[in-house]
Amino acid sequence: MNEKITMLKQELHKAVIGQESLIEGLLIGLLCDGHILVEGVPGLAKTTTINTFSKALGLDFKRIQFTPDLLPSDIIGAQIYNPQDHSFSIKKGPLFTNLLLADEINRAPAKVQSALLEVMQERQVTIAEESFQLDPPFLVMATQNPIEQEGVYALPEAQLDRFMMKIIVKHNSEEEELEIMRKGASKSFAKVEKVLSLEALQALQEKLEKIHIDKELEQYIVQLISATRDPEKFGLEHISPMLMYGASPRASIDLYKAAKAKAFLRGNDFVTPADIGYVIHDVLRHRIILSYEARAKGITSDEMISKIVETLPIP
Amino acid sequence: MKHNLGKHLLLFSLFLVQLFAEDFTYRITTDSTEVYLKEAVVLTVELNQTNPNVVLFFDFDLHPSKNYTFHRIDTKQSDSYQKVKTDYTYLLYPLHAGDLNITFDLTKKVTTKENVAYSFSGDRDNVKGIDTQNIPITLPPFQLHIKALPKAVQLVGDFSLEYKIKKHQAKAYEPLPLQITIKGTGYPPLLENILPKELNVTRFKEKPILHTVNTKEGSQSSVTYPIALSHTQSFDLHTIVLNAFNPKTDKAYTLSIPKQHFEIQRVDVNSLVDKIDDPKPLQGDYGWLTSLFSYLVVFGAGVLTALTLKRKKRITINKTDPLIEKIEACQDAKALLQLLMATNSRQFASNIEKLEKHLYGNGKMNLKKIKQDILEKIV
Repeated sequence: MNEKITMLKQELHKAVIGQESLIEGLLIGLLCDGHILVEGVPGLAKTTTINTFSKALGLDFKRIQFTPDLLPSDIIGAQIYNPQDHSFSIKKGPLFTNLLLADEINRAPAKVQSALLEVMQERQVTIAEESFQLDPPFLVMATQNPIEQEGVYALPEAQLDRFMMKIIVKHNSEEEELEIMRKGASKSFAKVEKVLSLEALQALQEKLEKIHIDKELEQYIVQLISATRDPEKFGLEHISPMLMYGASPRASIDLYKAAKAKAFLRGNDFVTPADIGYVIHDVLRHRIILSYEARAKGITSDEMISKIVETLPIP
Repeated sequence: MKHNLGKHLLLFSLFLVQLFAEDFTYRITTDSTEVYLKEAVVLTVELNQTNPNVVLFFDFDLHPSKNYTFHRIDTKQSDSYQKVKTDYTYLLYPLHAGDLNITFDLTKKVTTKENVAYSFSGDRDNVKGIDTQNIPITLPPFQLHIKALPKAVQLVGDFSLEYKIKKHQAKAYEPLPLQITIKGTGYPPLLENILPKELNVTRFKEKPILHTVNTKEGSQSSVTYPIALSHTQSFDLHTIVLNAFNPKTDKAYTLSIPKQHFEIQRVDVNSLVDKIDDPKPLQGDYGWLTSLFSYLVVFGAGVLTALTLKRKKRITINKTDPLIEKIEACQDAKALLQLLMATNSRQFASNIEKLEKHLYGNGKMNLKKIKQDILEKIV
């Protein structure tokens, strides 16, 4: 594994115990310029993880707690009248940052969620008549409460598609929890230092571009995505009634980039089918829309993805 | 029964006492002043206001006495508060022979028109009493002469008797229901013992059922005596004779129940006694040993069942987990890698790496060993 990545991971583990999948998901997001959607019950160190990232990378970090009465201007900023010199000035919102934690994003109504769309995709903010480019890197890590909870709105498909990966955060193992408990009680978490500069991060991103991916694997990625749209074509007739919509072309791009990033994080300079297998669930689980029948039967999108991976032969 | 009371009333002279008191006069009348013991007397008291300057009310009743009983059977009152006229009618039964003084309780209630009007000013939820000045008035007693009854008379009035006997045959100790009813006009025919005292049988008695309506013609009564008799052998109920006297006709008469024979079937008392010990007397009881053995057998069976289920569950898990079957079915490294990729589980990362190195690098691997390692992780 790349030395700098190892160093960064070590620094992150000073404050975050376990949660490998979340840390790896954020690293992939940072390297690929993607955004991450995180789902999990409260108290699993989601905020701590991204905060630690900002400290270890020396990046700007802001957090927005999404609430039902939040307005778009609360997050993007607004034009303010100055009565002293009779002029308008722009007050920039918390979006102007490198790492943004959109906490409990599905507690806000659709208009606020939509305000994020432009920023996430274009990386620019328009306030009044003026547009502002955001400084790279810009990563949105949105946390989402499970839809079964009270007072949450489902995120629109268009917005879900803008998240590169959806990470399911689970509880730590008993050994990890014991360590958390001891360190938390004695306040002995070590101070996180900046270990990676912005330039170093950009250099890592450039190295990522050079990761080789075979044409057969490119074809394999396209087939995996196509299988979500047209399962019959790949001998998956039995899962066809369970799928309403398949993944978008943006999913192909993100799976391609994520597989390369995973290979890079594993210390390889080429992508293997296993790299694709490691990231495919995270990349596709929020992009596949299940039919009513599937939801009634309690089938998850992860199960559908597994069926596809299991069926399509690897190169 | 002869209904000739009205005819006789016409023959009676009207006995009248009229007296004057402050603000009012009163008049006491009876249909007769010389009557038999327990003969009905109709007594009427009229109170007439004479002073129209006050508002008067009367609170009147006969004074209770052990020498007579009485029932108020009618009250009439005029609506005029300043010229009030009130008539009270009583049915009275003398209970003592000789000269009998009837005494009265009278209270004169004096008030004003304003007080009466004020009492009406409230509504039904705010009732106001009339404020009155209450003055007790002592009226002189009204005297009656009471004649003694002929000897051994039990009933006074014009009565008839009915009786019902449901059956004359029964087993020993079985009750024989008997119902006697006396109806008629006169002093209510309540008797302490309607059956002869000397009757040597077991008696079951209830309180007599009395229905009485008091009218100016007298008390119309019906008394029912529910009785049951029981005995161990046959017996006779001798003729019952009740001596009655009708004061209106001045004649004595009798009411009777003829002799009744009751046939009692004897029962062998010995056959009623339970002579068998049930439950049987305790002997050497080794039932506890059987119970203990049963408990041990059940406990052992429970333990064995639990162990069997645990083993079966383990076998079932091993056999039913579809992933295990799929892993066992994998023929080559590529198929196994594909299957592990589909599981999306980090626990197989090391196995995936070995398979990768074999497939896309120069690494060597033992498929059987990897499969065994994976199965151990699952189980």
